[in-house]
Amino acid sequence: MHIQTKKTGGSRVAALFLPLALGLAVPALAQEDDEPADEWFVLQGGDVYTGTGAVLRGATVLSKNGKIDEIGYDLYIPEDAEILDVAGYRVYPGLVAIESRGLFGGSSDLANSVDPFSKNMILALSAGVTTARSSSEVAKLRAGHIDGLVLTTGVLPGLAYSKSNPAGKRALRQKFEVATRYLDDYAQWEIDKKQDKDLKEPSDKGVDSSILRYMRGEARPVFSASERTDLLEIARLAQKYGFRPIINGCQEGWIVADELGRAGASAIITARDRSTKAEQLVRTGGSSIENAAILHRAGVSVTIIPSSAGISLGGIVGRDLMHLTIEAGFAVRGGLSEKAALDGITIEPARLLGVESRVGSIEIGKDADMIVTDGDILHYQTFVQWAVVSGEVVYDKEAELFFAHIRPRPEGSLSPEERVDSGEEPDEVIEEVPDDSGSSDEGDGDSHP
Amino acid sequence: MLIPLLLAWTPTPVPQATPDLPDLYALKASVLETGTGEVIEHAVLLVEGGKIITIGEDLVVERGIPVYELEPNQVVMPGLVNAYTRVGVTGSGPNGVQPWMHASDELYPAAGEYAKAREAGVTTLGHYPSGNGIPGRSVVVKPKGASASAMTLKDDAYLKVIMSSSKSAKSSLSGGFKNADAWFEKEAKNKEKWDKAKEKFDKEDDEEKKKKLDPGPYKPLKDDPKATSFIQLRDGSLKALISVRTAGDYLHLIDAIGEEEFSWDLRVVMTRDMNIYHVLDKVAASGRRVVLEPEISLHPGTMRQRNLPAEFARAGTPLVLVPRNDSISGYEAWRRHVGEIVASGLERSVAMRAITLEPAALLGVDDRVGSLEAGKDANILILSGDPLEPGTQVDAVILEGELVSGEVNL
Repeated sequence: MHIQTKKTGGSRVAALFLPLALGLAVPALAQEDDEPADEWFVLQGGDVYTGTGAVLRGATVLSKNGKIDEIGYDLYIPEDAEILDVAGYRVYPGLVAIESRGLFGGSSDLANSVDPFSKNMILALSAGVTTARSSSEVAKLRAGHIDGLVLTTGVLPGLAYSKSNPAGKRALRQKFEVATRYLDDYAQWEIDKKQDKDLKEPSDKGVDSSILRYMRGEARPVFSASERTDLLEIARLAQKYGFRPIINGCQEGWIVADELGRAGASAIITARDRSTKAEQLVRTGGSSIENAAILHRAGVSVTIIPSSAGISLGGIVGRDLMHLTIEAGFAVRGGLSEKAALDGITIEPARLLGVESRVGSIEIGKDADMIVTDGDILHYQTFVQWAVVSGEVVYDKEAELFFAHIRPRPEGSLSPEERVDSGEEPDEVIEEVPDDSGSSDEGDGDSHP
Repeated sequence: MLIPLLLAWTPTPVPQATPDLPDLYALKASVLETGTGEVIEHAVLLVEGGKIITIGEDLVVERGIPVYELEPNQVVMPGLVNAYTRVGVTGSGPNGVQPWMHASDELYPAAGEYAKAREAGVTTLGHYPSGNGIPGRSVVVKPKGASASAMTLKDDAYLKVIMSSSKSAKSSLSGGFKNADAWFEKEAKNKEKWDKAKEKFDKEDDEEKKKKLDPGPYKPLKDDPKATSFIQLRDGSLKALISVRTAGDYLHLIDAIGEEEFSWDLRVVMTRDMNIYHVLDKVAASGRRVVLEPEISLHPGTMRQRNLPAEFARAGTPLVLVPRNDSISGYEAWRRHVGEIVASGLERSVAMRAITLEPAALLGVDDRVGSLEAGKDANILILSGDPLEPGTQVDAVILEGELVSGEVNL
């Protein structure tokens, strides 16, 4: 317990022993201070696809209190750490869904309305999704918890700029003009006030505050646009007023990819989107399986989402959120690199949602949100075996009933000590308590009037 | 004593029914379930003035005391206690936070359901107020009595709370406690004001002026109905029965309660595929009672059956079982349904306790009803066999010593 005094004199000895004693001392100290002990979680021996380009084969990821603490080899592992041996499996960052419906039970105010045991949440985890946007909130799929799930709110503000609404286009341009004038005045004022301290700050009255935020680079607006002309117009608007647009849909983006790239646009696309070009047009048009690849080559960051953002087991199965990785796989089929495809369902959507400092890749300091798969994440045959959110296993394929029976894991590769109750054999579900109270015997004797 | 005598004289054929029982009598039964989970064979039960005087195995009954010896197949158990019912009351309640409402105001002693409840063997009913949110307080009644007050065993048995995963439901609970805080704050200010006035009054020497300054005796603030219930919850004079549907609701409930400490039990609304088992251990660790229906549910998304009452009981949670349907037919099927979940794994003694003593404890009337023990009300069921077997009939019901249904032969 000398360690407590390490800040004062004789600190060298205490500090020397600190790394050794850490495993034991931390819980002991914590008990004294009446604080919860540090929670350590280890993913051991997997091939870690960090999402930053690096792949560490047979590496270990150590997380402390839900954050990634260390990644590498021969790490010091605290004694009380929960260890999940994932040798032979791949570890990826948890996937990020730029859009989702019905995963959290509630629809808005998730902190107060989430159903952390909802079937859809488990199914989304089984598809590898650990973070999703629901309406204007971004939340983690922390199955079993109602705290610590909402990452941010008020994301993806929308703007409309379409040839179908010319008046709206004009109004938006005017807003940008007003904001430009204000920003110019403001910049001039900042220079001038050095000479004249009493100079009045220009008024921002009548200036659209969200437009100002876009122009200052504090937020990025989302446009829903797919048609070539609209895309070009948006690119021009963005370049003229100096903001970076996000374009949802972007079906004909491949035709104007260079323009979009120069405008610093990001695209949210569905690789399997299909549309034919208008027949009277001579120019190229319509959708292309190469859309994602061409856009990416032109410098447009690509985020991928299936055509339905819900979990639809009865409807258009195969095109819902459970097939986020399949959608990314189709982008690869169209020429996108596998790295870019993985980015499109992890770090890119995290950036668009402003949560890239917390999720989207496996890096020290980020949330320990990871998935463990039995193969390439983009392969149709691959299953998510475990999903980890905030350093805790929230999905285990063998423990949930949905896919446990398909290609079950070989015995022995299971190391999480805690098994969920529903993973028991079917005949154990109805408890059988041996009736030795003796009362039933009497009951039998008495039940024949 | 007169009536059995008269009967003996009348030339009507045997067996002689007993339309009324004497003040003092003994019951002899080959099997008796006490309600605590215990079973007594060759039991003798002595009743006087509507109370159980003594109970035991093979007791000797003093000469002169009438002894009703039951048939060998007959089983005696305490009257059933339904802690969560509206059979007999018909009013419609409000939605929202109205914790000052009383189910006791809805009582209608002449309701025909009470006679049928007695026949089904239910001798204690906990009426909850209707409505969602926090709609009021429950009342405990016996299904007999000419007036509401004669029926009532206990008013304000629990505050009904419906919790769901929503901000409004959560804030109706946490907001109630905030109202209580606000009331105390106001009261403190009120007192402070009076104290100052009193001080000024005491300091004043001039009699003339003193008269004007007299603040009079201290008058505490009027009760704020929005706060009172929550003050009572805090000081322990009122408890709550909180209903949830899902495991998520339970977590939100715990979140809404926060640091607040008060006595409450949990009711889980049965649905076909409920997921409350996710918080089984948490509930068990809290030591609170759980009110459930005797029903096998399905593991969500599958056809796999789960016996949640048995799972709760195994985890160590005190169990209260209420009829699947809150109706007379539900009352009649109640024991049989409990038998079904006993057949699929619930411990029998726990099941018997869950329909007698445990609900009585939930309602706070376990000093009077719920088990056959000396000093308690003589609420006794005489059944044609094992209480949990499907074919078993209620042969007779004794409520506070009086025969209210069926017959007992001398």
